[in-house]
This record gives sequence, C-alpha cells and structure tokens, in this order.
Amino acid sequence: MSKSTFDIEEARRRWEAETVAPALERREERRARFATVSGLPVERLYTPSGDDGKYAEQLGFPGEFPFTRGVQPTGYRGKLWTMRQYAGFSTAEESNQRYRYLLEQGSTGLSVAFDLPTQIGYDSDHPLAAGEVGRVGVAISTLADMQVLLNDIPLDKVSTSMTINATASILLAMYIVAAQEQGVDAGQISGTIQNDILKEYIARGTYRFPPRPSLRLTSDVFAYCSANVPRWNTISISGYHIREAGSTAAQEIAFTLADAVCYIEAACAAGLNVDDFAPRLSFFFAAHTDLLEEVAKFRAARRLYARIMRERFDVQNPRSAMLRFHVQTGGVTLTAQQPQNNVVRVALQALAAVLGGTQSLHTNSMDEALSLPSEDAVRVALRTQQIIAEESGVANTVDPLGGSYFMEELTDRLEAEAKVLLDKIEERGGVVDAIESGWMQAQIEQSAYEFGQAVESGERVIVGVNRYQSEGENPIALFQPSAEAATKQVQRLHQVRAGRDNTRVQKTLTALETAAASDDNLMPFIIEAVRAYAGIGEICGALQKVFGEYTPV
Amino acid sequence: MTISLETLVGQARGNDAVATRAAAKLMSVLENEPQRLPEFLRAAGAETPQPRLILGITGAPGAGKSTFSDALIGEYRRRAPAQKIGVIAVDPSSPFSGGAVLGDRVRMMRHATDPHVFVRSLASRGQLGGLTLGVKGVLRVMGLIGADVVLIETLGVGQSEVDVARVADIVMVLLSPGQGDSVQLLKAGLMEVGDIIVINKADRAGADELHRQVLGALKLQQGTAKRSVALVSSTEKSGFEELLNRIEDHGALHPQRRRENDIGDIREAILEAARRRIIVRLKTEPTLHAALERVARGGEDAESLVQLLLKDGDAPST
Amino acid sequence: MHASSPHRILIGKAGLDGHDRGAKYVAHILRDAGLEVIYTGIRRTPEELVAVALQEDVAAIGISLLSGAHFTVVSRVIELLKENDATDILVFLGGIVPESDIPRLREMGVACVFGPGISARVIVETLLDAIEKTPHSSL
Repeated sequence: MSKSTFDIEEARRRWEAETVAPALERREERRARFATVSGLPVERLYTPSGDDGKYAEQLGFPGEFPFTRGVQPTGYRGKLWTMRQYAGFSTAEESNQRYRYLLEQGSTGLSVAFDLPTQIGYDSDHPLAAGEVGRVGVAISTLADMQVLLNDIPLDKVSTSMTINATASILLAMYIVAAQEQGVDAGQISGTIQNDILKEYIARGTYRFPPRPSLRLTSDVFAYCSANVPRWNTISISGYHIREAGSTAAQEIAFTLADAVCYIEAACAAGLNVDDFAPRLSFFFAAHTDLLEEVAKFRAARRLYARIMRERFDVQNPRSAMLRFHVQTGGVTLTAQQPQNNVVRVALQALAAVLGGTQSLHTNSMDEALSLPSEDAVRVALRTQQIIAEESGVANTVDPLGGSYFMEELTDRLEAEAKVLLDKIEERGGVVDAIESGWMQAQIEQSAYEFGQAVESGERVIVGVNRYQSEGENPIALFQPSAEAATKQVQRLHQVRAGRDNTRVQKTLTALETAAASDDNLMPFIIEAVRAYAGIGEICGALQKVFGEYTPV
Repeated sequence: MTISLETLVGQARGNDAVATRAAAKLMSVLENEPQRLPEFLRAAGAETPQPRLILGITGAPGAGKSTFSDALIGEYRRRAPAQKIGVIAVDPSSPFSGGAVLGDRVRMMRHATDPHVFVRSLASRGQLGGLTLGVKGVLRVMGLIGADVVLIETLGVGQSEVDVARVADIVMVLLSPGQGDSVQLLKAGLMEVGDIIVINKADRAGADELHRQVLGALKLQQGTAKRSVALVSSTEKSGFEELLNRIEDHGALHPQRRRENDIGDIREAILEAARRRIIVRLKTEPTLHAALERVARGGEDAESLVQLLLKDGDAPST
Repeated sequence: MHASSPHRILIGKAGLDGHDRGAKYVAHILRDAGLEVIYTGIRRTPEELVAVALQEDVAAIGISLLSGAHFTVVSRVIELLKENDATDILVFLGGIVPESDIPRLREMGVACVFGPGISARVIVETLLDAIEKTPHSSL
C-alpha cells in the first residue's frame, strides 16, 4: 500500500483556520476552557493520529462536508441545543394566555399544536369533528380564531412553530393576515410550519388531498415564502412519525431523506433554485433507546444527506448540504407499566440525541404517552436535558463517540442500508409511487410486526412489560376537552359566518377553485379567502373539488 | 336456534338490513360448506337470477386491482344508479396459521354505505389457485340478491388467473408501468387468459412503453380470441367510460362458459360432499379405518375399500 | 357456522386519528391465530363499520380508538347493530381507553377492552372465548 498523502494534522489546521475561526467570530465558545469534572482539559475535537484517507472521506471535520461529525464547527461549545419543549392547549383563549405568560418570562419562541379537524381541514361544526374539537390542540376554523390566538402577541418579535401539514398553507395564510392586521409585514414574521405531507400518507394519517396536488401546495408555499416571508422555515421533514409507526432506524433515515428528495424535486420543477430554499429545510427525527444505534443514525443521516445534495442536486451553497434537525424522544418506547422507568428511557434517548449532534430537543414526560403530563413530570423532562448539558460533560467536545470502532461501523452500516432503501424507492418511481402502491407503509408495517413478535416471544425485553413486571395500577387519564370549550368554539364559528360578507367569501372560493385548476401559486388566493373569513373547511372543500380526496391503501 | 337455508334465501330477497345479513350468512354457508350448493339451488329455485355480467380482475400484487375496482364501481354507479353491483375480493390465507388479513375493502370504502354495492372479502383458504368452489357459491348469492354485475378480484398469482377465466365472462388483466414483472406476466401465458389487458396508471412514465410491449405481444398471439388493450388511471379516474363501453359491447364473451360452469359447479359440489362424507367415515368407522391401515401397509389393495365407500349405504350424515 | 371455519373479524379505526400501528398489529396477530380479519383502515364512521360488518358476516367488530369520542362512537355502533338485528356481533375496543370508562362501556355492550401493552396471547384468548360464548344460530 502506498503511503497516503493525507496528513491529518495539516487537515486539522486547515479546518481550524477556514471553518472554526469564522464560526468563533460569529459566536465565541461558551467558556474559555472546557474540562472534565476532575479537571482534565477537553479539546474541541479528537481525531486519529494518522490516517489512510478514510477519515477525510467518511468523517471529515465538523461544519464541513460530509458533516458526519456535525454541522456546527464548535458543536455545543458554541451554543447548546435548543431545549424546545412544546405543549398543546385546547382553546385559542387559553393558548393566548399561555403565550403571553411565556413572553413575560422571557421566552421568544411559541409553539402551536392544532386539533385534528383543523389539521385535516374540517370546520369545528363538521360531523367528523365531533369529539375532536380542541382535543389534541387548538381549534382554528377561521381567521377570527387565529386573531384570538395571537391577540396582543408582538408577531414581529416572536418565532412561532406550527405543527400543521395538510392545511399548513391555510394556517400560514391566517398568520400572515393576522400579522398584517397588527401592522407587521410578512417580511418581518418568523417561524416554522411542519408542512411535511408525505409522511402523513406514510405514517401519521392526517392527510386530505392526494399526493400530487399536495406537493403542488407545498411548492407554492416554498415559492411564496421565498419571495415574501423570507424568515419563515417552510418545512420540517419528519422521520419521527415514521419511526413511531414501527420503522427501523435505517428506514427512518431512508424514508425521510426520500421525502426530502421528493420535495426538492417538486420545488425545482416549479422553477425554484435549490440553493435558494435548501438552507431553510429542516428535519425532525426520533430518539429511541438503543443509544449507540441512534447516535450512528444521526451521523449516517447527515453524511448521506450531504452526499445526496452534492451528487444529485449539485448544490453550490455549503449550507444547502447541512442536515439540521430537531429530535423528540420516542413516545412509542414509553410504557404504561411502571412509568418512572420512562424517566430513565428518556434520559438515554436525550443523551443519544446530544451525542448525535441535534440542533434542538424535546424530551417526553414519563407519563406523556397516556395522559396530559403533570407539572412535575414536565419539569423532570426539562431537567433531564439540563443535567445532560451541565453535568454530563458530553457537550464539551464535538462528536465524542467519533472514532469508536463500533460507532463508525454502525454509522457505515446504517448509511449503506438506508442507501439500499433509497435505491429501491427510486426503482419504484419515487416516493409518491412508493406511497400510492402501499410499499412504504407495508415495509413499516412489517417492521412493526417483527418488533411486536419479538416482544411477544420475549426475545426483546421491555422492562416492566415482559420482564421485571410488578403489580399495581397504571392509571390512564385521557385529556377530555370540556364540552363547554367545544360549544364555545362552534358558537364563535357560527357568529363569524353570520357576520361576514358571504358574497365576498364565495368570490374568493371560486377564484381559489379556478386557480387550483391552473398553474397559479395558490397562496395569494388562500390569503384572500382567509381574509374574508372563509372557514378552513370551506377552503379545503373548494380545493377538494379540483384535487380530490386521498383514499388510503 | 336453527335457521334453514330456505328462510335465509327468503330473507335475502328483501331490500333491508335483514336481507343484507341473510345474504352474508348464505355466503358464509357456501364458503364454509361448498358442498351445500345444490341445497342452495333447490331453496333458491330455478328462476333465481344470475349476475348478468361477471368481470374477473386479475394481475400481480401492486398493479392496483382494488383501486381499479373502486373506480370501476364508481363508473357503474354513475352509469346505472338503480343497478346492484357485487364485488368478491380474494386475499391469500396464511399457509402457516390458516388465517388472513383481508384488506382489499379499504380501497373501496367510499361505497361502504351504498346499498347498491355488496362487497364480500374472501380468503383463499389454502387453494393455491385462489378461487374455490366457495367463491362460486358466493357468486350465486350475488345473483340471488339481484347483482347485475359482479367483480371478482383475484390474488394475482399463478394459477388463480386461470381459475378466474373459468368463472368470469370477461377477464381483465391489470398491468402497471414500473413493475418489472409485467413483462414476465406477459410471457407466462397471461395473454391467453385475459380478454382485456388493462394498463393502469396510464398517466405515469412507462405507460406508453408498456402499451407498446403489450400490443407487440398480442400480435404474436395465436388464436382467434378477441383481445384488446385499454388504458386507465384509477387515481385520475380516467379511461373508465371507454372501458365500460368496451366491456358492455363485449358482453358475455364466452356464453358457453356459463353453461359449463353451472354443470361444473354441481359436479364439484357433489365431489366435495362425497369427499367430506368419506373423510368422516374413514375417521369414525373402525372397520373402515382398519381397512385403511391394511392398505397402507400393503396388505390389501385399495379397490375393495373404494367399493365399500362408494356403496355408502347407511352412512351417517355429516 | 361450520365448526372448523375461521372466525371473521372486522377491525377499523374511528375518529380522525391516523395512528394505525396498533390496529394493524392486532389484525396480524389475529391472522396468526387463524382468524380472518377484514381490515378497513382509518377514519371509519359507525355507519361504515356496521354496514361492512353486516356484509362480511363477522363475529366481532374491533374498533381502535384514540379519541375523546369513544362513548359516542360505541353507542352509535351498538345502536346500529340493534336496529339491524345484529346484536350477536360482538364489539371490542383497542387503543387508549381510560380504565375508569370501562365499566360504562361494558354496560353499553362492549365485550372487551384491550389497553396498551396487553400480550397477543391474551387478546386472542379473550376474544375467542367471548365469541364462542355468544349464541349463534346454526344452519
């Protein structure tokens, strides 16, 4: 074997000069000096002493292609991950009160969860909405509800994250109009919409229209925001739900990245330049309890994505190849039996996310799978993150597990497996075909079945469930929205309908329908309908006339 | 409480929920005890209508059979709103447990509360072909309740395609672009079975290429059978008007199949009845069981045992 | 019904929630136990569930629920079964159902409620037991 020309020391010096120095310029590290609890110094990055070139190709340096070791050159030494714990509230009034409280306490980020009728596009008085109004989040049927939600909130100063997908365009339109009414221009508002419709078909089930028209809506949002709402993150491509539905780690990577490829292609086909929107793409993954596999998963995902962006989309902006993501610890791993065990599970999962270099993290409460978390449980979940950040030392150096024989082997394996799946999806004609034929769902179903069987047989142990059980009650308290709140919501809806200019509403809906049948960007038409106080159900009804409704496989 | 087949048949002729349930129970009887087909025919009487048109829908898994059926039903409902449609959807039974997940219905749920559409999901129950005598019984009940058209959706593998041909008036073979095995199916003699080759997902890339391949394969076919190709998109719901026109124009392409089928069904029912009785006798009559053992050891030839069984004399009822 | 023929069961999800992992898993384990499961997917109304149950001559309807509306859904399903003279069709529930609601659900006519973490063996045994105990007309 010839002597390698890769000199790792030289490479490292170059990295520090070209990548680390500018990062330090933008933001200093949190401390002048990092050390273990016993006082041993901890450096920014550890590498092998010599290398045959594999290091450069497979690992690289943090903040540089292929980003295996992370997207930030200084990792958490510069800035800790965002501890973003979100919660849902049932009425616009309650949510508004909570937001105002949080703002008083110094928070600048809000998060909104919506009820299922809003997510799927039914007004609160639709027959299918019965029992669902305000249950898993706030009910928003018209602009009036959004105005209550955002009342007295300075929309030019806060960043709002909305977990909304099929109807993302409509909720965003409402937010934009509400802001305008406050005198805040669309160019000043900032936030995120999840807006990932593909995973709905695959795993989550809150879809409305078929895939192709939905992709058109997604591209319309990208294009509109790129021009008019530049500070808005227009998508959070999600693997979390795919994992919750039972996929393996490799499937979680593959199906998420396949969705990303689909969105990017749709946007490019609509005429956008990839470097214009790719830096604003963000991702959302789960963290499960097999700690080392999860760390490897995040690293493999970063590397695979970077390679795809470069090879397939030929991105020029280095930021376009960076996989930035939020993690939520896996809800499905939590048990009803012996809920205190879940604190330990969440801690391990959070640790995995941090060792994997996540940008932001939500830790579940121990009882979250079964009921509205108690205040104590919520506090413990937050403390979990804080203890990891302050006491565990893992944030003191970048990618601490890098170089471990097992870690690199696992990372390579997961990347390879994910790549095989991505190729299979390509062979099937892409994500939409894979979804419409039911192939992706079947893969996940099979993984879920195999996992379930392994638990049944005891091959896979779930502590407290199939081993180390104990007697005792496992109380489940489902959150029931008050009938009063639902009634109030419906009343407001009826008042809005009675008080608005119905001719104007009809005109906007007709215009929307016409636009849907053409190539026009739909956002301006949705905004006009929203402004006229058209209901989310009416808007979706108009779109459905052209798009049809998705029937699942 | 015992209900007679006659009672069920009478109830099934009605138009209410009792009728639906009675029809469903009849289908279960004929599925579970297909040898009772002659009993059903006697109860139903000679004048019992049969479906005017039986359409077989076959093709590999993933070709989109159920979505296609759903679109076809929609087109028929639009065209003839007063007519009833029946659907028999077959899915494979697990060879290990004998159970099955029957999921074809999911794609047809928009018709679930339409009283003019009767869907029955069936498991193949170990018949490799996928179509059992039981299916034929279910088909008869569809006739009893006045179904004008019945769709039979098969498993989509191997032998079942041939079985469909024996039952349906028109067999549609569904192909879709991007399925590597479409070409395999063409080669495997599927062309002989299909009356109409339907290319589904006509709006997708590769549909034209597939169309060309199919036309090419048809040209090479021998025989005088009338075969044609149709292009549809089940998701776009396009091409169905033309397809239905073609189906209705074809009409029953193989009228002699129906006559052969009737006699064939009775023959199979009788054979099945005989088979079941013999199984019971061999198990429960000690002398017969002993004779069986002797034959198994080579100590006796089977002929006398067969004669004994065929005599059937005062055999216990099953 | 013929003694050796598989029981037929209908499984569907009611309400707007789309998490069907549990419902699909139960369908699979029932298949593994030799039953035939007609799986009807998500967003099913009580009317759809009962209509399908009648056509498919099922022994039981399994409703997967993660909704505040389990009482509404269940009472409507039971009402429809009564109207259609089909009260011999059992109703069982899966998903997240508060234990405190179970007595009232059973009073309404629900045969079994399967919460999270219950083993496949228990589900199959309980269900088969309930089915076999229900008087069916013989033909």
